[in-house]
Amino acid sequence: MADETVQPLLQFEGHRHLTTRLLLSTLTGRPIRISKIRPSSTRPGLTPYETNFIRLLDSVTNGAQIQFSMTGTTLVYRPGLITGSAEGLGAMGGVLRHEIPRECARRGASWWLIPLALLAPFAKDKLNVVLHGEGCVTSATPAGDVSVDTVRTAILPLYKSFGIERGIELRVLKRSCAPAQGKSAGGEVQLVFGHQVRLPKTLHLMNKGRVKRIRGVAYAVGVSGSNNARMIDTARGVLNNFVPDTYIFSDVSKSPLITSSSRGKGDASGKEKGAVGFGLCLVAESSTNCVYSADVASPPQGGVTPEDLGKQCAYQLLEKISAGGCVESTSLETVLLLMAMGSEDVGRVCLGKDVLATEEAVQLGRDVKVFTGAAWGFRSKGMEDDEDEIVVSVVGRGVGNVGRKVA
Amino acid sequence: MAPTLGKRKRITREELEQSSRASSPSSDSQCSDREDMQALFRKAFEAKFAPLDIEPVRKTQKVEESEEEAEEESDWSGISSSEDENETSNGVQVFDYASAHEPPTKASKSEMRAFMSAKPPSLSKSTVAKPVPKPKKEDDSVEAAHLKNDLELQKLLRESTLLSANAPTYSTRTGSTRERKDARHKLTDLHIQSLGAKKSIFEQKSMPMSHRKGIIAKAKMREEKRRAEAKENGITLEKERKTKKVFGKRERGVGGPSVGKFKGGTLTLSKKDLRGLTSSSGDKAKGKKGRRR
Repeated sequence: MADETVQPLLQFEGHRHLTTRLLLSTLTGRPIRISKIRPSSTRPGLTPYETNFIRLLDSVTNGAQIQFSMTGTTLVYRPGLITGSAEGLGAMGGVLRHEIPRECARRGASWWLIPLALLAPFAKDKLNVVLHGEGCVTSATPAGDVSVDTVRTAILPLYKSFGIERGIELRVLKRSCAPAQGKSAGGEVQLVFGHQVRLPKTLHLMNKGRVKRIRGVAYAVGVSGSNNARMIDTARGVLNNFVPDTYIFSDVSKSPLITSSSRGKGDASGKEKGAVGFGLCLVAESSTNCVYSADVASPPQGGVTPEDLGKQCAYQLLEKISAGGCVESTSLETVLLLMAMGSEDVGRVCLGKDVLATEEAVQLGRDVKVFTGAAWGFRSKGMEDDEDEIVVSVVGRGVGNVGRKVA
Repeated sequence: MAPTLGKRKRITREELEQSSRASSPSSDSQCSDREDMQALFRKAFEAKFAPLDIEPVRKTQKVEESEEEAEEESDWSGISSSEDENETSNGVQVFDYASAHEPPTKASKSEMRAFMSAKPPSLSKSTVAKPVPKPKKEDDSVEAAHLKNDLELQKLLRESTLLSANAPTYSTRTGSTRERKDARHKLTDLHIQSLGAKKSIFEQKSMPMSHRKGIIAKAKMREEKRRAEAKENGITLEKERKTKKVFGKRERGVGGPSVGKFKGGTLTLSKKDLRGLTSSSGDKAKGKKGRRR
């Protein structure tokens, strides 16, 4: 503990990029202090979903210290060791059940899952977490979170290029859609991450290749399966002209039943149905294993035809592909953070200008520089035909997994 | 031109058209009349109300209209030309690909299982089954012929023992019908055995015990003789396969005695039975125990 107190706190301000900063802090082991979290808002401080994420972070680590100020506008976080789902630390039978309450239903489950999956390879032991509860939304949300299917089909496969491929599973136990105000979702997702590494491999991804196939999942929760068929039909109508190898699978499930202690008046059994809706997630894969994804779901208030959603999703996918680069914006954080946590070597990745020139990407680069001390290098790709692409060189930190000196 | 015998003169297309036009002059005039009428009505309508933007149907009509509308051009600039169908009034091109789409095809079940399972789908390997290249027709027929010949050759080799001179009785060449029949049965037997029959069809099922004993003894003697000769000549033969004797419990009738023979109201015990009864069973048990240790 003595050396931890010696380490100075890294200072940050604002509520934005909170998960990224907490993640970087946990991975690098450096304590942080975030101040001015929504100081002028009518509801100052951390939102329920942010505190819930910190709680999840606390349960997968050992020895973390978290301090809030009275108003919740200042947070001091001293990270612990990433233990995964080790027995005796909140995990029951190797599974850690984390509840997301109804107040957190604004964010999708992917908001918790993507950072969690990033922590998992550096854990001491296998990670097995079940997210459940009234605020667990597996579909895409209006807040901009992708669906759980996108996490599984577009983000988790990317770990393979870092040498992390064994024992990774993401099970959708109960599907749910984004609920309207005051309603609950009630989804359930299980993330199993069984491959822990000492250091991720250095990545060199320079050639984006050409899109060779498109896959997708259409899901309908508590509504007719014909919605799926209609979405698939329209999306395929758009995409088949470009890629003949286009298949979209349909998943129809019932709306999850929620046992709520607070509202037992509606039904005799005290159970109510969760939110209903439908959505589509598409994944395009190129010949060099680059992945582009698109995700659209019906809004909680409804009133959108499946045809519109299918078309919107297909166009969104085409837009993502046209942005270029080997990594799209959804998986940008995952790829760049894994590269930054890799061995002390320069990894390179080719990014589209539009993908890189977003607030998230730029802030991520700045944060990584603050935490690891190594800035990214940028240069435009030399070729004439790819003038829209920029090569980002990332120096790995070379520390990797502290809990796993031999692996 | 003077008419000539032989080939008729070929009628050109123009001549044909002229003749057909000539045959029905009335319909054309009627049509033009109607068009004129429509044009008049239209003109009257357009003079009173806003001009109509009906696309000209006929070329002739278009020419007329362009002449008519020349004077009205000044107050007629609001409506764009409808020639470019893709272009709407504000200049945004709209492409609709959804209309032109292919019949839906379903992915294979294995692919669905691979993609929809809990594991993240692997990127590198293609799950799509590649279509097996169909062999060309001529190749196919040649292959089939080869296969057929091959089978026939193998069959011939197997049955060649029947044709050999050493077994003249089974030769199909020698005349009598009985022998031919015999050979046929032998062939069938071979076939059946090659297909996995347990025993030959020539094996007699029931016969006097003494006969069977004799047959078995003879076969045994032959085998022993063969082995002895081989041993003398220093030839290594295949290993002798010993048939295991099965000591099962003899099937007895219900209600019969567990020991001896009951016949004519008397239980007869043989010497063997007596030995089994009198010998102390403890010995056996002891021996077994000892062996186990």
